[in-house]
Amino acid sequence: MTESKLSIVDLTKRYAAGLEPAVDRLNMEVEEGHLVALLGPSGCGKTTTLRMVAGLMDPTAGSIVVDGKEITHTPVNKRGMGMVFQSYALFPHMNVEQNVAFGLEMRQVPKAQQKARVAAALDMVQLGHLGKRQTKELSGGQQQRIALARALVVEPTLLLLDEPLSNLDAKLRETMRTEIRSIQQRTRATTLFVTHDQDEALDMADRIAVMNGGLIEQFGSPTEVYERPRTHFVANFIGQANFLDARVGAETGRANLAGESYYRVEVEGLGQFGAVGSAGLAGTTHELVIRPHRLGVSLAPGPGPAPLAGTIERVSYTGDALAVAVRVGEKLLQAQMPTISGDLPRVGDAAYLSWAPEDAYLLPAPGAVAERLAA
Amino acid sequence: MTLLEAPAAPERPRAKNEGQLERATERRNRRTYLALLLPGLLGLLVSFVFPLAYMVRMSFNQGSPDGVIVETFTLDTYIQPLTDPYYWKVTLDTFQMGVTVGVLCVLVSYPVALFLARSTSKYRGLLIAIAIAPLLTSAVVRTYGWMVILGTNGLVNSSLTGLGLIDTPLKLTNNMAGVTIGLVEIFMPYAILAMISGFGRLSPQLEEAAGSLGASKFKVFTRVTLPLCLPGLLTAFLLVFVLSISTFITPRLLGGGSVQVLATEIYDQTTGLLNWPFAAALSVILLVLFGLIIAVYQRLTRKIGG
Repeated sequence: MTESKLSIVDLTKRYAAGLEPAVDRLNMEVEEGHLVALLGPSGCGKTTTLRMVAGLMDPTAGSIVVDGKEITHTPVNKRGMGMVFQSYALFPHMNVEQNVAFGLEMRQVPKAQQKARVAAALDMVQLGHLGKRQTKELSGGQQQRIALARALVVEPTLLLLDEPLSNLDAKLRETMRTEIRSIQQRTRATTLFVTHDQDEALDMADRIAVMNGGLIEQFGSPTEVYERPRTHFVANFIGQANFLDARVGAETGRANLAGESYYRVEVEGLGQFGAVGSAGLAGTTHELVIRPHRLGVSLAPGPGPAPLAGTIERVSYTGDALAVAVRVGEKLLQAQMPTISGDLPRVGDAAYLSWAPEDAYLLPAPGAVAERLAA
Repeated sequence: MTLLEAPAAPERPRAKNEGQLERATERRNRRTYLALLLPGLLGLLVSFVFPLAYMVRMSFNQGSPDGVIVETFTLDTYIQPLTDPYYWKVTLDTFQMGVTVGVLCVLVSYPVALFLARSTSKYRGLLIAIAIAPLLTSAVVRTYGWMVILGTNGLVNSSLTGLGLIDTPLKLTNNMAGVTIGLVEIFMPYAILAMISGFGRLSPQLEEAAGSLGASKFKVFTRVTLPLCLPGLLTAFLLVFVLSISTFITPRLLGGGSVQVLATEIYDQTTGLLNWPFAAALSVILLVLFGLIIAVYQRLTRKIGG
């Protein structure tokens, strides 16, 4: 079913001459069987990209290749893809079975075979018993699953999901996340998934394309984009982050097999620390990223290597975690600590921050948008 | 007769223990609703229900050629139109004209309405205003306009003969063809308005979804767009049907006396022969025709889930 592989080459969409392009010379390779998330804030071009791949929108330039065949100008109904829309777009004048059978009918699959495949698809989304229902009688989660079954029953070359979870409530969203992922892995359908929700992307995707201003800022596995963000935008968009401007001093050793090095860095107003980054950064100025939960917080000066002393300025309790903002000199650092059943730290308490060198990462690049603006 | 059904009020969840309070609120609400409905109901009563009842009563009276109305209770006024082949023909012609005008009007209005309903242009409002702008001139004026255009020496005939396509001018006025052409154009704005409001379930995403599932443009139209438009098309047909079988001006003027439908017949009976009871009976027959088509309409809309 999934022989496909997608390459997007220099894909560009300009809605009107003179306007900034919505998608700007985008390049991407998607491996067979992968689920790739297009992640970014609204207006970053992720939906435009998906619609161009689907054939619902003509690109201004560039090409789209599926299974080694160029399909850039193939009409939507000849692409053989399956798409799930944000609003599900179930046909209101057809019942559940008729909705799911629609694609098979268009392919003139024999009736008996249609019936079997529709039943199998409905069973796959665990709604085999609802075949005769009208779509408007179904809940949001059920409609979502019907839309998924309708897209998958035609054994699409690519499965395209346009923010499929954004209309569901938080609890259901998490269930559907797991379900979509497990169905995707069972069918091995190569999938493009548009979302603005970083948790969704991290949880479900094999690869994440973080988009901003019509460009891919970074394309990598969830761990890569989270642990090794290429740009300030990526670090800031995925998870929370503290940013510090650091003067990179001497290299102090090889960090790992990926060729990264440890450095001594100096942050104005805070002092000297250990950090990790790609090779060859010595003598430059780079941004340092530290995730709040990687910052060690203690309420008493511990034995660790020269912790930073500060004052708690804000406390936010969410049940399973306690977020604190600690003022150190002129800097305000976000940190997280596990909640304890005893007394919780209060605003004004002293706090001591420390981190391991491998948790302080030097960003390698200023960012694609910044690069474009500079160019 | 409601053409556009009001959306059902959302049902409020009700907890048992708040029953008492709830009932009191409901009583108060009901009183408010009644108070708000009262002026409209009174207006309807005075201007619609009473005259209608009066007309029905009138239809059982005895008319006479000299215009004297005898208060009585007779079925003669009904027996005559129901037994005389002439009135059968008039009734059938009326019905046929309503259906023809309704179908043609829906056919020519549909592309315009579909375009307007789907348009995302910033000029959409202006375009809709232009589409219904003909309503600014009265049907009488437009009928005279059509008489000029369709007449023996009118625009259509002089162009066709000038081009050498025909030798003798076509007969387009003083017959049903002319009446039909005129009525179709006159009722287009109503049809377009009824359709636009009836196309609520149409959405570009549904058409895109059908396309992505392999439907060609033609299949998208026949399997998705058209079925979703059906409620609007039916409403428009009903509206145009009702308007055209009850209209008098256009059949009279464009028909030039040779087109007899119920409306012109009622007019003749009322003002020419002064036989009001008979005119009233014909009006009741016209109402029954309305009722019939509305019953069919409601059955159809229920079937297609509009």
